[in-house]
Amino acid sequence: MLLVENITKAFGGIRAVDSCSMGVERGSITGLIGPNGSGKTTLFNLITGFYQPDVGRIHFNDKPIHGLPPSRICHQGIGRTFQITRLFWKMTVLENMIVPVRQVGWRTLFSRGVKKHEEARALELLNLVGLTGYQDEEARKLSFGQQKLLEFAAVLMADPDLILLDEPAGGVNPVMIEKIIGLVEDLNRQGKTFLVVEHNMRLVMELCQHIVVLDHGQKIAEGKPATIQNDLLVLEAYLGSTNHADASA
Amino acid sequence: MTIPSTHLLIQTIILGVLVGGVYALMSSGLTLIFGVMRVINVAHGAFLILGAYCTYWLFQLAGVDPILSIALTAPLLFLIGWVVQRYILSRIENPEQASVLVTFALAVTMEGLMGTFWKTTLRSVKPDYATEVIKFATYRFPVTRLAGFGAALLVLLLLYLVLQRTNLGRAIRATIQDRNAAQLVGVNIQMVAALTFGIGIATAAAGGSLLSMIYSFNSSSQTDWITRVLSIIVLGGMGSLPGALVAALILGVMEQLTAVMITLYWSPIVFYIFLFLTLIVRPQGLMGEKVREKA
Amino acid sequence: MKPSRVPAVIWMSGLLAALLVFPLVQRSQYYQHVMVMTMMAAVLASSWNIIGGYAGYTSLGHAAFFGLGGYLVALAHNHFGWHPFISTWFLGIVVMGVALILGWISLRTHGSAFVVVTIAMVFIFRIVALNLASITNGARGLTQPRPGWGGVPWSPELIKIPFHYIMLALLCLTVFASWRVRQSKFGLGLIAIREDEGKAEAVGIDTMLYKVLAFGLSAYFVGVAGGIYSYFFTYIDPQFIFDIFTGVTMVLIAILGGRGTLWGPVLGAFIMEPLGNWVIGVFGGTQIHLAVFGGILLAVMLFMPQGILPALTEFVKRRAKAPAAGRRSQSA
Repeated sequence: MLLVENITKAFGGIRAVDSCSMGVERGSITGLIGPNGSGKTTLFNLITGFYQPDVGRIHFNDKPIHGLPPSRICHQGIGRTFQITRLFWKMTVLENMIVPVRQVGWRTLFSRGVKKHEEARALELLNLVGLTGYQDEEARKLSFGQQKLLEFAAVLMADPDLILLDEPAGGVNPVMIEKIIGLVEDLNRQGKTFLVVEHNMRLVMELCQHIVVLDHGQKIAEGKPATIQNDLLVLEAYLGSTNHADASA
Repeated sequence: MTIPSTHLLIQTIILGVLVGGVYALMSSGLTLIFGVMRVINVAHGAFLILGAYCTYWLFQLAGVDPILSIALTAPLLFLIGWVVQRYILSRIENPEQASVLVTFALAVTMEGLMGTFWKTTLRSVKPDYATEVIKFATYRFPVTRLAGFGAALLVLLLLYLVLQRTNLGRAIRATIQDRNAAQLVGVNIQMVAALTFGIGIATAAAGGSLLSMIYSFNSSSQTDWITRVLSIIVLGGMGSLPGALVAALILGVMEQLTAVMITLYWSPIVFYIFLFLTLIVRPQGLMGEKVREKA
Repeated sequence: MKPSRVPAVIWMSGLLAALLVFPLVQRSQYYQHVMVMTMMAAVLASSWNIIGGYAGYTSLGHAAFFGLGGYLVALAHNHFGWHPFISTWFLGIVVMGVALILGWISLRTHGSAFVVVTIAMVFIFRIVALNLASITNGARGLTQPRPGWGGVPWSPELIKIPFHYIMLALLCLTVFASWRVRQSKFGLGLIAIREDEGKAEAVGIDTMLYKVLAFGLSAYFVGVAGGIYSYFFTYIDPQFIFDIFTGVTMVLIAILGGRGTLWGPVLGAFIMEPLGNWVIGVFGGTQIHLAVFGGILLAVMLFMPQGILPALTEFVKRRAKAPAAGRRSQSA
């Protein structure tokens, strides 16, 4: 479904992503792990069009998407959440849900107010993540966990086929983590594909069917969770990084 | 469009370089301020004119030579700049967005005040050597331009020495390179910001002093000058002193060439066109750091 | 964004009625003139608000479109005999077209760089107008025949009145458009761009398209106003009409009243324009005018950057929350 071919992205002298190639199978939940600074978020930014690769190509459903602006990539069917939750803080929960654009249509753009079916869908999704009743609340008034759920729900509004989650369990309590795992698994059963960056190993091993490991911008391992757990290179990357000072991105 | 003779061409380039040196001095402060504070000081033109007025009045009332007046105008405007930063600019919540409007408001206010107190009559400073020209190898070097160029180089050298050889200079350079890292090693960012702004305005004073003997000016000239100076630092790369120097020379020469080859009246447009084009085609200018793509 | 509030309809009708009868009640030419200029300021600020308030892209260059509208209308009147009251609505579309192109070029920049680019725009327009003397008559400017209809000039006592009504019509149109934008998904997208442009892109908003459209739309009303203005004064020249100060005033008014709100710019205009006239009347000369406006903009930016209307609404909301019983429970 998603094919990343030989991508390199350098900032100044540092190669954040270095000749990295990987793929995501349709219908899978794929994990992307690696020590801090290994290039995971950079890869996300490359896939979603926030950065342009220096070298390499990215294909989604056999269509090239490298070089496209983020909004076009969103229209192709890729959604993403951010490592540090990003919402329109001063807008209400409902407005945050309505803002995402599925496709550019002139009539929907200029018509008055919020279309009924959009509002219905928004409420449905809010219900799915457990935020019913909060629609008129300002986003910044929600709790941290609720904000993460809102970001997730808003991404779903655009009905993406592939969803990139950047540390969905970051800073979140164990109950919420379970909830997130549940949501992802449900949506996966309905046909959504996921690519998840996570540091929480338990979540990764439990949730992901396939794992890609990055270190210093390069893919060093790939495979099923069980294989990865025992892979020497992976262990060295993680253990090794605790020996030296952490070169975080 | 008239193609000049080689002699005229070289003469024009000479004039362009001489004037470019002064432009470089004028823009040095602006690019320094941006480098340290990430603030585009749109009031820089107004400070230039303020410096010019100070020099004018010192000359009119006390006969102080415009170049020597720098010794007086620079410290004065340093203080004013320091106060402005400390009590006005530091209050801005979101400096990178709001500073343009705030400094613009400051510029307009200053223009209004200067125009109210000193009226809108065009002024210029004419020392004894104002009309003298040194001839060298059949080329004419107006003394004011030459002296201005020399003075500009001296002040720029002084600035360079401060930046390279003093502790303050090191702190400034560190802050330009990496604000957070500088803080981590103990640099007092607020102090550096205030001092840098002061230094920047002091160089504006120096530039203004030179301006007064090369051009005529009044309070509303500040808009012409700020656009010139902005174009220079944008072309050179905002935050880069060497860039400002190079860009100043380029634009100085281009301006003179346009005046000669097309007409004097079209020549100001050179700056605006360069500004427009640079920001759109290559926003980091010649020597600036690459503008981070949005993420 | 609330459902129809009865009070809102009431005060809006009241305002409209007051403006409709104003020139019939207030016979002084001076005040009629000030009212026309006040409504024009409201048009400019509300129009600017679409790109500067909703989308958050501060343009100081709208004076370029104002002047362009003025020149197009004057030229059309002098060369083709088109009456400005009719031609300006169509020539405004030409101005919008130019703005779409310029916007497409300049909206690649962000933040401070964008402001600077728009400043350059005004100066470029001015220099071009000064130098293309064969078309624009250069520094000598363009004059139009005395305002009238069908070759018959209007009598001097009544001359301001037609301008009052056409400006009122423009104001209504502008506010209506601003309202429609605000209510639409397009407007929500603009606000999203203002709040977090990267995130807006990520959720599928084609930010470039939105910004360019907003920029173009905001130029339309400004251009139409410029056309009316050139007829109102019967004279324009490059120094007069391509003036940075026009842009500054637009921005000041919008910010003072409440940038990004629907009525803020209108409120700001109704405060600043009469105030400005008063300042000139008392102190004379434009330099003081500059200093005062600059000072006010500075003060607003530093102490009340959200503007009067939002500050007022906050105040009213907080008052409403506190129970009538005790002052003590009011939060600071």
